[in-house]
Order: sequence, then structure tokens, then C-alpha cells
Amino acid sequence: MSHLSEDRFDQLVSSERARDAAPLNTWESIAQRAREEGLIRDHRTAMWVTPWMRAAAAVLILAGGITIGRYTEGESVATTASGEIAADTPPVSPSAPARFSNVDEAWATLERASADYQSASAFLAVNNSRASTAPDSVSIYRERLAALEELMRATASARENARRDPVINQYYLAALGAREATKQQLGAARPASFRLKGF
Amino acid sequence: MLIDQLDLKRAIAGDERALRRLWTRHAPHVDAVVRRLCGDAELAADISQEVWMQIFRALPSYRGDSQFGTWAHRIAVNRTLNALRKIRRIAKLEVDIEDDSALVEPDTDRTFIAESIEQAMTRLSPGARAVFVLHDIEGYTHGEIGAELGITPGGSKSQLFKARAKLRKLLAHLVDESPSVAGKAHVAPV
Repeated sequence: MSHLSEDRFDQLVSSERARDAAPLNTWESIAQRAREEGLIRDHRTAMWVTPWMRAAAAVLILAGGITIGRYTEGESVATTASGEIAADTPPVSPSAPARFSNVDEAWATLERASADYQSASAFLAVNNSRASTAPDSVSIYRERLAALEELMRATASARENARRDPVINQYYLAALGAREATKQQLGAARPASFRLKGF
Repeated sequence: MLIDQLDLKRAIAGDERALRRLWTRHAPHVDAVVRRLCGDAELAADISQEVWMQIFRALPSYRGDSQFGTWAHRIAVNRTLNALRKIRRIAKLEVDIEDDSALVEPDTDRTFIAESIEQAMTRLSPGARAVFVLHDIEGYTHGEIGAELGITPGGSKSQLFKARAKLRKLLAHLVDESPSVAGKAHVAPV
């Protein structure tokens, strides 16, 4: 039996080397598997719905709530922009912690609390003239900004080594958002002649 | 081709579009080596999926020291050889190499006429095919092949010589269109 010449064979090998093939799988099959392994993440879901992210958000809400509670201490009513009494603050008693029968119920409560926190923050930022014009409100905001900046530095540093860690990422993003909000509050609270240069 | 760094960051973060761009750009080449090493399209498709999962999982460890395609290619070769080992095809390789199986010509080879080198490769034993693909197609040295397959460089050389002889025989019917070929025949040094 004869052989193909070496030269011709080398030509064939060279052609084979340069030849690409059609992919062996469809992207859909690859993507499905990658999704199952968590390698593909829906960002809307990943950012706000995963339990770790929710837990991280809850911690920040708690911290924010403590801050609000401290600087609105003694106020039992909130006034609207027109000066009318809006309503008593809904009774949220720390001595009577909520009980939950399942995880969904707890998450639903947490989401309501988050929404309430944001609404309350917005309301206070606009209507709580007493707090915002108090002599120490600027310093409170500045202290908060400094603390948030520290938090951002720490989480940014952690992200260098754990870019895919959802908890670290959420803390970083939440701190970023809180810092921007605090800057706005500080801008609204400071005297007209005051210009923010640092904190 | 240099990978776009922004695409890589997005892919690591789980962005499907970025991952798909990586796959689209590199699957033709990566899947080709998987198919050559497997010699069986159905098996190759299964292993290719594993290869791509491994590439995606390993993305955070890609440091950019080599081109992305080269890095992915190396993962493909390693993962494929590991998979073949698991299904005991490579286990047969060690036996093949010891008993010079590349020279064994089953009766069916007498009537088999390969239309292409890819087709002819399917007639090689898994071990001989691996040595041939890694050396002549992928450019591995015999030392590297030995390390990958757990054989000596000498064993790799011997196996390659026999594999090439068999392939030339299987492709003997092809006409020698251009007898002079400039440049070196093989990618890798021997």
C-alpha cells in the first residue's frame, strides 16, 4: 500500500491547523448551563433580589434608621411644608419585635421597611425644618459623610480581592448611594454662604 | 486577538452579552481542538460544554500574560484530556503506546478511504491521535506532550512517527498536487 508524500501530507496538516470548526454547541445550551452555575447573572435580580444583597441592604437601613432616630429624637409629630401636622409617626416599638412565620413574610416586611425608610428619609429631608436648621445638623451630615467615606474605602479595598463577592459589592454600592444622598442633604442643610470643600 | 478588557470585566461580573462575545469569538478555534482530540462529534460536544464552563469559571484568574485565545486553548486541551482520561480512553493510550498500536491496521482500514485528514484521524487510536494533534496541529513539544499524557518524550516521538505514517497511508489516494512545500512541516520543535 502506497503512502501520501511527506510534502502533500504536510500541506494537509497545515490546512487542518488553520481550519476552525463550527461551534459544537449553541450559545443557548452554553448559556443555560452557565446560568445554572451562576456564571451568568441577571443584574437586576443579582443586585436587588438575592438574599445576601437584601440582608446587606437591611443592615444599611438599620444604620440609617438609627441615625434618623437620633437626630429626630424628641419629635413626636412631623410637619408638612405648609406647617400642618401630618401625622404621628407610626408606632414601631423596638420592644415588640415582629414575628414571622416564613422567609417570604420576613422579606416582604423587610421590603416594606426599606420603602418606609426611603419615604421617611425623603419626607424628613423636605419637611423637617427644625432638624435641618439645627446648629449641629451640618456637623451630623459631615460626620455621616466621613463614616460613609470610610465604609467606601474599606469595601473598595475588599473588592480588589473579591470582585465577585455579592455582599461586598452591595455594601460598596449602598455606601455609594448613601454618600450621594447625604451630600444632597448636607447641601440643603448648610447655610447659603457655606460651600462644601471636604469633610 | 487581544481581548477587550472591559468585555472581560463584564464577563467576570456575569454579563451574558460579554460572555457570549467571548464564546462567539473563540469557540470556532477552541471547539476545533476539542473535536480533534475526541475524534467523535457527540462526545466532543459534551466535553466542549465542560470546557466552556471551565473557561468561564476561570476568567477571574486570567492575568493577561498571554492572549486570551491561547489561554482558553490551553484550558480546552487540559480539560479535554482530563475528560478523555475519565472515560478511560486515555488509559488505553498507555497500552497503545506500549504495543505500537499505531501500526496495527485493522481489516477495515484496507477499505477505508479518508477524504480529509480529520476523517483519517478518527482511525488513529486515542493516544496516537492525541500525540499527533498536540504536536502537529497545536504545536506542543514532545516534552510538553509527555507531561500532559504521562509518557516520555521519546514515546511521544515514536508515537508521532507511527501516527503520521498511518495517516499518510490512509490518505494515499489523494493526489500530490503541490509537491514542494516551503517552510517547516511542523508547528513544534521535535
